[in-house]
Amino acid sequence: MDLGLKGKRAIVTGASRGIGRAIAERLAEEGATVAICARDDDAVQEAVTAINDAGGKAIGSGCNVKDAEAYAGWLDKTAAELGGVDIFVPNVSGGGGMDSEKNWWRNFEIDVLHTVRGVEALLPALKESGDASVVIIGSTNAVEFFGGPMAYNAMKAALINYGSQLSQFVRAEGVRVNSVSPGPIYFEGGAWEMIEGTMPKFYESTLRKIPAGRMGTPEEVANVVAFLASPAASLVTGTNLIADNGYTKRVQL
Amino acid sequence: MSTQKEPQGTPLDKAPDPELGDDIIAKERYTDADFMRLEWEHIWTKVWLVGCLERDLAEPGDYCAAEIGPESILLVRQQDGSVRAFYNVCQHRGNRLRPEGVGHAKTFQCAYHHWEYKLDGSFERIPDLDTFPQGSPCTGLEEIPCEVWGSWVWFSLNPDVEPLADYLNVIPEHLEPYHFERMAMTRDITVEWDCNWKASVDAFNESYHVQGIHPQLLWHLDDLNLQIDCYDKHNRYLIKFATLSPRVRVPPAIPEGIKAAMKAGGMDPADYDGRVNEIREDLQRFKREHGPEQGKDYSDLNNEQLTDDYHYMIFPNVTLNVHADDYWLFRQRPHPTDPNKMFFDIWTFELIADGEEWPERPEHRQFKHGEKSIGLVLDQDAANLPGVQAGMNSRGFRGLWLGNQELRIRHFHKTIDDYIYGPGKKPDGAL
Repeated sequence: MDLGLKGKRAIVTGASRGIGRAIAERLAEEGATVAICARDDDAVQEAVTAINDAGGKAIGSGCNVKDAEAYAGWLDKTAAELGGVDIFVPNVSGGGGMDSEKNWWRNFEIDVLHTVRGVEALLPALKESGDASVVIIGSTNAVEFFGGPMAYNAMKAALINYGSQLSQFVRAEGVRVNSVSPGPIYFEGGAWEMIEGTMPKFYESTLRKIPAGRMGTPEEVANVVAFLASPAASLVTGTNLIADNGYTKRVQL
Repeated sequence: MSTQKEPQGTPLDKAPDPELGDDIIAKERYTDADFMRLEWEHIWTKVWLVGCLERDLAEPGDYCAAEIGPESILLVRQQDGSVRAFYNVCQHRGNRLRPEGVGHAKTFQCAYHHWEYKLDGSFERIPDLDTFPQGSPCTGLEEIPCEVWGSWVWFSLNPDVEPLADYLNVIPEHLEPYHFERMAMTRDITVEWDCNWKASVDAFNESYHVQGIHPQLLWHLDDLNLQIDCYDKHNRYLIKFATLSPRVRVPPAIPEGIKAAMKAGGMDPADYDGRVNEIREDLQRFKREHGPEQGKDYSDLNNEQLTDDYHYMIFPNVTLNVHADDYWLFRQRPHPTDPNKMFFDIWTFELIADGEEWPERPEHRQFKHGEKSIGLVLDQDAANLPGVQAGMNSRGFRGLWLGNQELRIRHFHKTIDDYIYGPGKKPDGAL
């Protein structure tokens, strides 16, 4: 099946490593031009070079999405450089933690506001595309108990809700909006690698909850995101697609 | 950030590595009853030993009965404020005067025939003295050298021992900047471990085992780039905390151990925008700047000491994890008779900020290997040791094969040899 991504222009935030990196690579493999950012410019340049070396088309530069002004500037510049935007994948997250009230501000600013600000800045370009897709990165933590009453979990739920509401609001103008909620995703340098080393019991108990017996890979999440981002998913909007190998137990009606 | 000047702190100079060769270390040193006797004769009865906390002897009459091998020693605060040490044995028929532990006494009266001694060890009363035609056996309790340093009371079973300051060598200069007198005891535990006392000393004298039995610490300290310094008898290593081991990849989130260090220093990890590899130095700057307002005086410590672990071994049996806000003192004591057993004393302390109430001293607890948890990291150390001791007794094991990361263990054994055989005088073929 041809996803129809060839020639599409995509922006993926937080794409120097992990899930974001895999999404950028997958979209590029499918023929999209991708623009990426992350806090560390060196890491972004490394990813851009790797994608271009593999035959894809990528641009990118360092940007801290928590800094509203810098982020707005980066989006403007990047959209102009791409000559338009068809796909937006806001992937950056502030991560988990229950250290203090600051976690709520952190996840609100990074997870929620960076998504909302990105959508608002890019909506004119997305509407102009006529066949655009926003894929929000949620988490199974939004729909299932995980780790405790963390801001991370609640803000992911807020994002999924926002995505659904937004989808009704913009579909008539040619923009689809969906969320992908990955379960535990393991990769080198990822959070689960650290958890495996620092909290082996928690790691093992999480693994036991996955009937497939293994955590997902960034590439598997990227496949799901690439589908929803593509014209092949033209009928799909407002949904939250769980990609977790059976980690969550609820019956999804 | 802070423009405050960095104090010099504990000396950081690298001591030249001693040439100690690469010979195998005989396993029998850990199991042999004759070697244990040599240790008793040439080490335990010759060196200075930590007996108790000075704070436990606050008032005249406060005492501690401290055990070392087959002996028990009374450490007693005198009326004049000094501390003196005596063998804890009645001069009449040899009965122990007091059980192990701390207490308060006006006099020491033997429970057997009520021979009674003053705090200074001299006789208070001998019942029916007129029935001893030969008179009293001596002037009182057998006294031994005793000194106070580092907020601990030290004693020596060697009447001719050098002054404590000479024995300790560089240690006071290195550790006094921490001001142990400002730190309150938080744990006082003795665990009977099923291993030789040296196996326990060895377990804390190298960081090579971190990747083996403490994998979680690889996200909390740098086990590879550390400085090892060997002095005359004692040694140390300086190990970076609140950072990552080069053995692991930089994670996307701050590891829990580093978060805990940040929180303890007053930093909020959720408010931190830097990278994981920048935290250690940022935390040092933060503590330097905000320590005074937290009632914590770091003015004698250099910046590294605000995050790192300075680990000292004071020969023969004290290992110390020293930090700006706390320290752990482990004392490894030999079993009175069995080279396959030992007593592992855990004394932990926390800095009490100015204006904070001094907490109550914890009760001493004692139990056997594995009966109770002593915290994740120490449980990991402890779990290994009976297996190590079993291996020392195995016909299938040749002896300790040490690498460069284990230089302190080699230095420790060299110091043992110097005590037992005389400096550089170990005969060929000797254990």
